[in-house]
Amino acid sequence: METKRLLPIGEAGALPVMKRAGPGRRRAIVTALLLAPSTLWFVALLVMPLVVVLVFSLGERAPAGGYQAGFTFANYLNLPARLTAFTNTLTLAPVGTLLCLVFAYPLAYFLAVKVKRAKLMLLVLVILPFWTSFLLRTYAWIILLSGKGIPSWLAVVGIEGVRLINTPTAVLIGIVYGYLPLMVFPIYVSLERLDKRLLEAAADLYADPIATFRRVTLPLSLPGVVTGCLLVFILLMGEYLIPQLLGGGKVFFIGNALVDLFLQSRNWPFGSAVAIALVVIMIVAVGLATRWAKHQGATREVSLL
Amino acid sequence: MNKREFLYHLRRYQQGSISRRQFLGATGLGVASAVLATELGLRPRRAFAGDIGDRVSLCTWPSYHDPANLEVFTQATGATVEMTVFGSNEEMMAKLQAGAAGYDVLVPTNYTIRDYASQNLIQPLDLAQIPNHDPSAHDTRFTGEGAVDGTVYAVPKDWGTTGYVINSSEVTEGPTTWKEFWDLTQTTHSGRVMVHDYQLTTIGNALKYYGYSFNSIDAAELAKAEELLLAVKPHLFGINSDYKPSMLSGDAIMSICWTGDAVQLRRENAAMQYVLGREGGEIWTDFYAIPADAPNVKGAYALIDYLVTPDINAKEVLFHGYPSTDARTNALLPKELLEDPILYPAAEVLAPLEFGATGLITNEARAELFARFKSA
Amino acid sequence: MKGRGLSAYALLVYLFLYAPIGLIVLISFNAGRQASSFTGFSLQWYRTAFGNRLMVEALGNSLSIALTSACMAAVMGTMTALALQRVTGWRRVLYDGLIYVALMVPGIVIGIATLIAIATVRDAVNPLLQAVWLDAPRFDLGWGSIVAAHTLFNMALVVVIVRARLAGMDASLMEAAADLNATPWGTFRQVTLPLIAPAILAGFLLAFTFSFDDYVVASFVNGREVTLPLYVFASIRRGVTPEINAIATVVLAVTVALLVLAQLVLRRAQRPRLRAQVPGPGG
Repeated sequence: METKRLLPIGEAGALPVMKRAGPGRRRAIVTALLLAPSTLWFVALLVMPLVVVLVFSLGERAPAGGYQAGFTFANYLNLPARLTAFTNTLTLAPVGTLLCLVFAYPLAYFLAVKVKRAKLMLLVLVILPFWTSFLLRTYAWIILLSGKGIPSWLAVVGIEGVRLINTPTAVLIGIVYGYLPLMVFPIYVSLERLDKRLLEAAADLYADPIATFRRVTLPLSLPGVVTGCLLVFILLMGEYLIPQLLGGGKVFFIGNALVDLFLQSRNWPFGSAVAIALVVIMIVAVGLATRWAKHQGATREVSLL
Repeated sequence: MNKREFLYHLRRYQQGSISRRQFLGATGLGVASAVLATELGLRPRRAFAGDIGDRVSLCTWPSYHDPANLEVFTQATGATVEMTVFGSNEEMMAKLQAGAAGYDVLVPTNYTIRDYASQNLIQPLDLAQIPNHDPSAHDTRFTGEGAVDGTVYAVPKDWGTTGYVINSSEVTEGPTTWKEFWDLTQTTHSGRVMVHDYQLTTIGNALKYYGYSFNSIDAAELAKAEELLLAVKPHLFGINSDYKPSMLSGDAIMSICWTGDAVQLRRENAAMQYVLGREGGEIWTDFYAIPADAPNVKGAYALIDYLVTPDINAKEVLFHGYPSTDARTNALLPKELLEDPILYPAAEVLAPLEFGATGLITNEARAELFARFKSA
Repeated sequence: MKGRGLSAYALLVYLFLYAPIGLIVLISFNAGRQASSFTGFSLQWYRTAFGNRLMVEALGNSLSIALTSACMAAVMGTMTALALQRVTGWRRVLYDGLIYVALMVPGIVIGIATLIAIATVRDAVNPLLQAVWLDAPRFDLGWGSIVAAHTLFNMALVVVIVRARLAGMDASLMEAAADLNATPWGTFRQVTLPLIAPAILAGFLLAFTFSFDDYVVASFVNGREVTLPLYVFASIRRGVTPEINAIATVVLAVTVALLVLAQLVLRRAQRPRLRAQVPGPGG
C-alpha cells in the first residue's frame, strides 16, 4: 500500500511549500539570469584585471621595461621609495575633502533651506560646470593662476610677489573647484529631507541659531556629509591630473607615481605594487570611515534623488 | 626679388615685425611652394601609385612641424595628418610597448633606434619608397645611428643640441656653464627655473655639473647627480618639457631647452638667449621611422618622403628652427640662418657635446632615479 | 542678516564656479591665436572647429561611447539591483563587495589594470583566433575596450542609485500587484518600473556625464581611438588654439538647451499628474 503524504489543506505552512518547489526554482533562474551580465562584467573587467595586476606586482621589470615573469616581494619592499607620494596624497586628499566640505555645506544649506523658488535651476547651475571639459577648466585655472593672472591683479592692489601656480595651494584650489559640486549634491539631498518644522521647534525652545545648527541640522545631515566626503575622498586618492597640471611636476600624488611607473619609467611590476597598495589603503580608509559613520548613526544610504 | 630684399624680409620675420604668412607672401616662397606642390604633383614622385587612405598618424615632438606644410600634404593626397606629441622618448616608447597605438610615422631620437629595432617596435625601411631621401647628402656624423647592423630603420629629420635658455632681461649674470645654471637655480633665481620632464637631459646635465659624462650610468656618479637634483628641486618652478608658455609669460626665466625652441622663443622675445654649457651636454639627431604595427604604411612612406624633400624641409627649418643634416636643404636656407649661432654653432662649441648613448632609454637605474626625483 | 550673508556667500561660490568657464567661453571668441590673451572678437574658431575632421570625429566617438556605455549600464545595473533584492547570505555580501570595489578603485588603477589585462590576453587570444578563423577581428584596445571599462564603473553606479530607490519603495505595492494576479513581468512593467524610473534616469545621466568627460581611463585603454577629452589634452600639449574652446562652448550651450527643454517638459508633465495623485497615508 502506498503511503501518500496528504498535504493538509489550510495549514499555513503547507501552501508556501508548494509554491516554492516550482516557481521558486524559476525565481532562482530568473535571478541568476538577471545577474549574469553584471557578473560577467565584474569577473572579466574587475576581478581578472586586478588579479593580473597582483600577479604583475610579484614579477620583475623586464630589461627593456615592462613585465617579466617572476616571484618576488621586492616591489612591495621598495614602496618607501615613493613615500613622499603616499604622504602627499594622504595629507592633501583629506585636507582637500575637508575644504570642499567647508565650502560646500553653506551652499547646500542655502539651496535646501533658504531658497524658495528656482531651487532646481540653482542646483543645476552647480552641476552644470561638470558638462564642460574638465581639462579645459583646469587649463583655464593655469591661465588664471599664472604670473599674468591673479598675481598680477594682486600686484595692482599692492600685494607683490605672490606665486600661485605650481604650488600645493594651486593644487588645492583645483581640487576644491573640481569636486565642489560633487560634495554639494549629497549634502543638499540630505538637508532637503530635513523637516523644517524641526528647526522651528528648536527656535521655539529658545535655541539660538548656532545651537540649532549644531544639535539639529548637523546631525540630521550627517548621512549626506558622509556620502559626499567619501565620494570626494575616493576620487581624490586616485587624482593625478590636477597635481600634474596645476602642480607643474612639483606636487606628486600616488596617481602621478602610477602614471610615471607605467608610462615613463616603465617599471610595470613596481607600478602594480603601488596600485595594489593604493587599493588596500583606500579599502582600509573607507572601511574605517564607514564604521565611524555607523557609530555616529549616519548609516542611511542617501539616495541621490 | 634679390638676395638683399630676401634677407630684409627674413630679418623682419625673425624680429617678429611680420608674421610667417606675410613673410612667405612677401618673398613669394608661399606661392612657390603651393605651385610646386600642385604642378609637380606629389603623387607621381612616389614609388607607388594610388590612394594612401584618409589619415596618417604622426607621433612627434611639440612645435616640430609647420602646419602649413602638413596642410599642403593633405590637399595633395587627401590624407589628414593626425599629430600626437610627447615630452620624452620614454613616454613615446611606453605607448609603443603597450601596443595598438596606431602611429604611422614616429620621430625617435638617435639613441633609441637600436633599442626599438631589437624589440621589433619599428620596421626596416624600404628606401625605394622614399626617393626624395639622398643618403649621401647627409652628414654621417649625425645620421649613422639610423642604421642598425646595416639595416636602415630610420632616415634623419634634423639635428640639434640641448642647452638652456635664459631671459636675459632678468638673468643678467651672463652664464656660460652648467655649473652656473644649477648654482643660479639654488640661489639668485630660485623659483623661476624649469627642467625637462625627461631623464636623459635632466640627469645628463646634472652630471655635467660635476664634469661627468652626459651618458654616465656609473652608480657613484649617478648618486652625486641625484644629490644635486634633490637639492635643486625645492628651487624649481616646474618639471615640464613644455616650458615655452611659462618662459613667455615670465613665470620662468631659465630652462633646459632644445635648439629650435630657443629660436622660437627668440622670435617672440628678443631677450631670450640660448646657452650651451661649456662643460658639454647633448647633441642629438631626430629621425623618421615607421612602427612595426603601423596601420597605414603607404601613408607613412608618403608623409616621410614629402617631409624630407629639400624644399619642404627648408620650410620646416624656417618654422621650427632646428638645423638640418641634409646638405641639399641647407643650400636652400638663407645665409643668415646658416650663420645663426643657435642653429649652427661653431665647431669648438659643439666639440664637448655628446650624443645620447644607446641603452639609456631602457636603463633601469636612470629611470628609477628620475622617478625618485619627481616623487621627492 | 544670516539670510543675506548666506546669499552673498552663495553668489561668491557661483562666481568661483563660473569664472574659468567664463574665461573658456571668452577665449573661444578670441581673434588672436593665443589661448592666454584676449586680443579681439571673432567667430573664426567656430568656423574652423567644425571643419577640423579629427576633432569632430573625437566628439562623435565621445558621444557614441558615452551613450552606449550609459545605456548598457542602465539596463544591466537595473537588472542587477532588482535581482540583488532576492539574494541573501554570502552571495549578497560578495556582490555588495564587488560593487563597492568597482566604485572605489581609482580610475587610474582600473585603466592600468584593464590595459595590462587586455595586452596580456591579446597576445594569447589573437593567434588562436587567427588559427581558427583567418579573417577574425583582432581583439585589441579600441572603442570596445573604452566602452567596456566605462560600463564597469557606470553599472556599479546605477546599481547603487537604483537600489537606494528600491529600498525606499513601499514593498506592499508589489505584493498588492501580485495579489491582483499580475504576472511578475506585469508587476515589473506597471508598478516597479515607473517607480524606479527617476533613479534609472538619474543613473543614466550620471553615467553619461562620467563617460563623456572621462580622460583617465580612456587614456590607458583607447588604443588608437580618440575621444574628445583625449583630443583636448593632446591639444593642450601641442599648444592650445581657441578651437577647443569653441567646441567646449558649443557642448555647454547644447547642454543648457537640453536642460531648459527637460525642465519645461517635466513641468508640463507634472501638472496633470499632481491632480491624479491618490492621497497617501499621511493625508
